[in-house]
Amino acid sequence: MSCQTMPNVAHPAPEHPGAPGTGEIRVVAFLCNWCSYAGADKTGMNQLPVPAELSVVRVMCSGRVEPTLILEAFQKGADGVMVLACHPGDCHYKEGNLRAFCRAELLERMMPQLGVDPARFCFDYVSAAEAEKFSQVTNDFVASVRALAAAQTDLHSRR
Amino acid sequence: MNHQPKTAVILCTCSGIISEKIDWAQVRAQLAEHPDKPVVTDDELACGADNLEKLAAWLREHGPERVVVAACSPREHERTFRTLLAAAGINPYYLQMINVREQVAWVTADPAEATRKASRLIAAALRRVCHHQPLVERHVPVRTDVAVIGAGPAGIQAALTLARAGRMVTLVEKEPFFGGMPVRFEELFPNLECGPCLLEPGMGELLHGPESEHINLLTLTEVTEVKGSFGNWQLTLRQRPRYINPELCIGCMVCAAVCPVRRENPWNCGGELAAVDGPFVGALPNLPHVDAGHCLKLNGRACDACLAECPVEGALDFTDTIRDRVVEAGAIIVATGAEELPVLPAAFAGRDNVFSAYAFERLLAMTGPSGGELVKGDGSAPVSLAIVQCAGSFDDAVTYCSGTCCQAALKYAHIAAAKQEGLTVTRLVREQVVAGVNAARLFSHDHSRVVRYDGLGDLAVADTPNGRAIVCASTGAEVPADMIVLCGPTVPGQGTTQTAHLLELEVDDAGFIAPIHALSGSFLSPLKGVYLAGTCRGPGDIREAFASGTAAAGVALSELVEGRDLTVDPQVAVVDADQCAGCMGCIRVCPYKAISWNETTKTADISDILCRGCGTCVAACPAGAITARGFSRTMLRAELEGVLS
Repeated sequence: MSCQTMPNVAHPAPEHPGAPGTGEIRVVAFLCNWCSYAGADKTGMNQLPVPAELSVVRVMCSGRVEPTLILEAFQKGADGVMVLACHPGDCHYKEGNLRAFCRAELLERMMPQLGVDPARFCFDYVSAAEAEKFSQVTNDFVASVRALAAAQTDLHSRR
Repeated sequence: MNHQPKTAVILCTCSGIISEKIDWAQVRAQLAEHPDKPVVTDDELACGADNLEKLAAWLREHGPERVVVAACSPREHERTFRTLLAAAGINPYYLQMINVREQVAWVTADPAEATRKASRLIAAALRRVCHHQPLVERHVPVRTDVAVIGAGPAGIQAALTLARAGRMVTLVEKEPFFGGMPVRFEELFPNLECGPCLLEPGMGELLHGPESEHINLLTLTEVTEVKGSFGNWQLTLRQRPRYINPELCIGCMVCAAVCPVRRENPWNCGGELAAVDGPFVGALPNLPHVDAGHCLKLNGRACDACLAECPVEGALDFTDTIRDRVVEAGAIIVATGAEELPVLPAAFAGRDNVFSAYAFERLLAMTGPSGGELVKGDGSAPVSLAIVQCAGSFDDAVTYCSGTCCQAALKYAHIAAAKQEGLTVTRLVREQVVAGVNAARLFSHDHSRVVRYDGLGDLAVADTPNGRAIVCASTGAEVPADMIVLCGPTVPGQGTTQTAHLLELEVDDAGFIAPIHALSGSFLSPLKGVYLAGTCRGPGDIREAFASGTAAAGVALSELVEGRDLTVDPQVAVVDADQCAGCMGCIRVCPYKAISWNETTKTADISDILCRGCGTCVAACPAGAITARGFSRTMLRAELEGVLS
């Protein structure tokens, strides 16, 4: 992890800069060009639903996504962040997905220490053919993040 | 950023496909309020040939510094729009595409939501594209000649294919002869074709045909060092002395006949050679070689027997020495082959008349130690033959099936039975794999008794009242075994292990060179400009060797074209030497060996020729010293801010 690029995570941004109470959330998905981005394209070709709250950031390989970038997304107000990679053994760049997996594992363990609920992060594998899976994992994740956000808002309003 | 570059936004309707879901008028209205004041057009179908011309004119008219295209997937049309930018005089990498068709219009039910999402993504692209850098493709001249390592069927086939296309080939072979394994086999499965007859025409062309002008065959030669990269490799070759002048020697082998020394013949697994001799009858090139370890003259003894009888003065050359040379090549084809597991199982090792598959091939061959006679060590004919298949496969050490031994065993059974009337042949098997039409024919003609056994631990050799037998402990079966052949697993050849090490190529669990992709790229190594042919990639038969040799040559021909420079993609990773702390973490994570250590600056260097732009090193660098061009931290950060603001 880069010291120079480490965002100031000790004081995370307010949880829901979007629109508290309206249920509007923001989810960022880093997709690798060869598998998961292609899978997202195929989801479109099959006209399967993808949540409107999801914003895709295309990278060439999931191995490109450093943990600080994920934390920066949270810092900038993302309610959820996804990294979707090629399945193990299918990486276009041989093993970038496995590096991404290792980084995700470590990050998930660090997140509670940084005050970010690990449930707001999702690492998964989506192949270029898995349109249904892409639709499924994005809808499931956005729904769970939406529920988390609603619970949080509820908590705030009760205080 | 002080200067806000002028940006153009092209909104594609995709003939109504996009605009039926996304309200471009609303997006245009929002963009009119945007602080960057981008110029906007909503074209009918941006990728249409006529429209591209119109768009180029529109871009020239407005002269933007950056362009955002909201259309379909960049996987489909990024190249189209980069070409558009170039046509409008804008650096093609000043483009950012947003996929509003597949990833917005087609997946969002509510048009209002789709429009909002498209706006958000366009806002993010506008932020990102400010940080794009002008990139230029680099052109590097490449050599079109090729070095082929290993002159078995795969290497020969690759060399001939390249030579026929007019390429210069250096063909390196560590043995004193070439042709690989099958040139030493009497017959080949599944059609029982004669091995030398199949290979020698090509070998003849390579030595004497028009192709010979393009092929420099170096026997007794090994690669000791490889430097460079795709298009410009330098290979250091070490050639051991033959002590024979190939220009003068006529291959009469009189020298061998008069040489007083006898040594074991390592290629025949039996029989003897003189100190100066050919490895076996018919070995090509038709030249003897002197074994420096055994030759009396080379060991300071007074012997001139060969020199006295050689009919050509100067053909024997005892002043010959090791020669090192550097060969330059645009590509390298590795065809270093495989061999059988060199260790015989303990239950059989050291016993008489026990043959490895290779040793049995030589016994059956006319050019072998017995001239093709099926005889035991004492010269008598065997009464029974036991062929143990899977001898060492499916084991702890070798877990895999080599896939060729079943056919080889069927071939041995067939040839041995034909050579020796009344021979009892038994095949001991763990599994049988006889795939393919021709192999099935060989199988259906087999008259051997088949006995199943359960691993080498199940087998013991015992003397019974009926003669020697292999006893299976699990079933109690007794197999008459006057002569025993062990079909062991195929393992990487010594040359394969050595070459993988030299080129720093990864090997699989069994030690074979791992290709870039097992299915779609089995002829390509992960190193650009290094191609793989034959059994260095894993066990295979001669058909596979010929096919992969042709394939590897084909890849070399398509990637290295005379007069065509290598175009280097500028979207690679670059190191900021001032920031690099020299931890070498990036060198370890690069899957393409594209990063090297610069001893002078004590920093990492990335070869733009080898880098494929995955960005794994960028994420791994603890100093943030590596930038992925086209996907820099600044660009991705700007994009994140855009989608989250």
